[in-house]
Amino acid sequence: MGIGNLVRSKRFWLGLVLVLAVALPFLIGAYRLQIFIFAITYSMLALAFRLTLNVGLPRFDVAAWWGVGAYTTAMLMLKANMSFWLTLPIAVVMSVVLGYVVFSVSIRRGMMVFMMFGMVFALAIQQVLGTVKFFGGWGGTPALPPVTIGSHVLNNKMWIYYVGLAFLLFNVVVYYLLFNSRIGRAWNAIGSGLRLASSLGVDVVGYRLANVLVSNAFLALAGSFSVMYQAMVLPTTYGFQRSIYVMMYVVLGGFLSPLAGPIIGAVLLTSLSEAMRAVQQYEPIVTGILTVLIIMFIPQGLTGLLHGRVRPLFLRLWPAKAGVQVKGPAGSTQVSGPDEKAGG
Amino acid sequence: MALLETRGLCKSYGKLEAVKDLDFQVEEGELRGLIGPNGAGKSTVFNLITGFDSVTAGKVLFRGEDITGMPAHKIAKKGIARAFQQCFLFMFSTVLENVLVGCHMSSRAGALREFLHTPAARRQERAAREKALRIIDFMGMSDLVNELAGSLSHGHQRALGVAMALACEPTLLLLDEPVTGMNPTESAEMVQRIRRIRESGITVVLVEHSMEVVMNVCDRITVLSYGRKLAEGRPEEIRNDPVVIEAYLGKEEA
Repeated sequence: MGIGNLVRSKRFWLGLVLVLAVALPFLIGAYRLQIFIFAITYSMLALAFRLTLNVGLPRFDVAAWWGVGAYTTAMLMLKANMSFWLTLPIAVVMSVVLGYVVFSVSIRRGMMVFMMFGMVFALAIQQVLGTVKFFGGWGGTPALPPVTIGSHVLNNKMWIYYVGLAFLLFNVVVYYLLFNSRIGRAWNAIGSGLRLASSLGVDVVGYRLANVLVSNAFLALAGSFSVMYQAMVLPTTYGFQRSIYVMMYVVLGGFLSPLAGPIIGAVLLTSLSEAMRAVQQYEPIVTGILTVLIIMFIPQGLTGLLHGRVRPLFLRLWPAKAGVQVKGPAGSTQVSGPDEKAGG
Repeated sequence: MALLETRGLCKSYGKLEAVKDLDFQVEEGELRGLIGPNGAGKSTVFNLITGFDSVTAGKVLFRGEDITGMPAHKIAKKGIARAFQQCFLFMFSTVLENVLVGCHMSSRAGALREFLHTPAARRQERAAREKALRIIDFMGMSDLVNELAGSLSHGHQRALGVAMALACEPTLLLLDEPVTGMNPTESAEMVQRIRRIRESGITVVLVEHSMEVVMNVCDRITVLSYGRKLAEGRPEEIRNDPVVIEAYLGKEEA
């Protein structure tokens, strides 16, 4: 196999990234590793955000569900003395059940109502976490007990990093299986043409709900993971600002690769914000401007630049044609108004 | 019992009455034409039948069952498929991927099996793929299987729309202007295929502007004008019906 083939081989790159990810703790110091632990968490959030774009639903309540997972785990560990690992399924179930309550009503009313319900919920959940005594208030929960496996305490960064990496891999495998199944095809169809999909027998409301609940499950899992590396859980960590950042990760990484895009975006932007630590107050401005520039000049994002060669049509059809007849790949164009109505 | 029946079907958008008191019956195995001047309400009738638009008054019955107000995907499951007037396709997917979405209903293996890619799910997937390829072949697009839908010629896009509807294995197929924008050769091929679809036992309702096509292939024709039924009958009856001629010529003079 020539070097050219190697460079073009997806497996080669995947393998390389995996090897680097596993070797990372031996290549950089503990402080730098912490940044990658953040990046892993944000990657999971970005993947969950990208997932619902598949069915044409942008969501800005990502951080709130992340918080639901974190608080469920933290509370169970603190109040019920439960092992971290046992809290994981409970956090996931919590997020899915609560998600079902919030979204089973809103999702059949289309994208706008879904989005607004989510944001209202996000606001409410933060207020509840901040003001209800049980959750510890705005000052956060009491100090959390360390996470253990048997008698081994997972308190060093390296272990936390590897647990995170395992979580992220689990995310990617599940997403991969879903995207390459009949379910994923139905999701994509909904995202690219709601009415067309429903005319072919795809239950738009049902598949959208399933999609959002899968997203919710992974958000909760990311939330539980975030408990591992924090001394205590604060409601403000899970605020609206993080949801906006998650959107920016996905924009930067690109919509066309539902797996690589969000992860690349999250890692790059998290590194950028860390690099700007000295001038922290300007960081949101720089990140914001960067996002705007990317939307203007490479709307398909970083991974989209690769697709550009493979699918030149996408580049030709991109400008302003997001109307009724020409639809982008799932999630990349807005679902147009009249199209949205078939969801009801 | 008629396969499809509308009873007193009405649709109004504010003051505009797009469809008014339409009684319309399609028998099983029939190839029915639905014609009328622009704005006569033909596409609206399709939208009402397939659940894309809410019915203001009246009923739609399919095999005697009231399907009025059902969501679109349930109506599709009952066996009504449609090909759209505009090129409604998944433009950034390949021809095969497009038709595979049409196989959605028939390739079900259960969510968990599909997620885990169990042998049963993979069997379904393979069967769906074979079916999709057969349909694509039937539509004469075998050499375009891996082309993006958005890069196809207009005629092929229309054909793809029909292929996707066929993948639903419908009892009743609604075709909205399938030959519009096609060159004479493509158009003749499409007419041939519509005949063969009908011969395979699928009931077809055809909305079409090209009189030649409609007169050629349809058993019976229903003429709409301003949302009302103007006339109904065999092609030769319609051709010579003074009311129909007036409706069409009147429209053109205006």
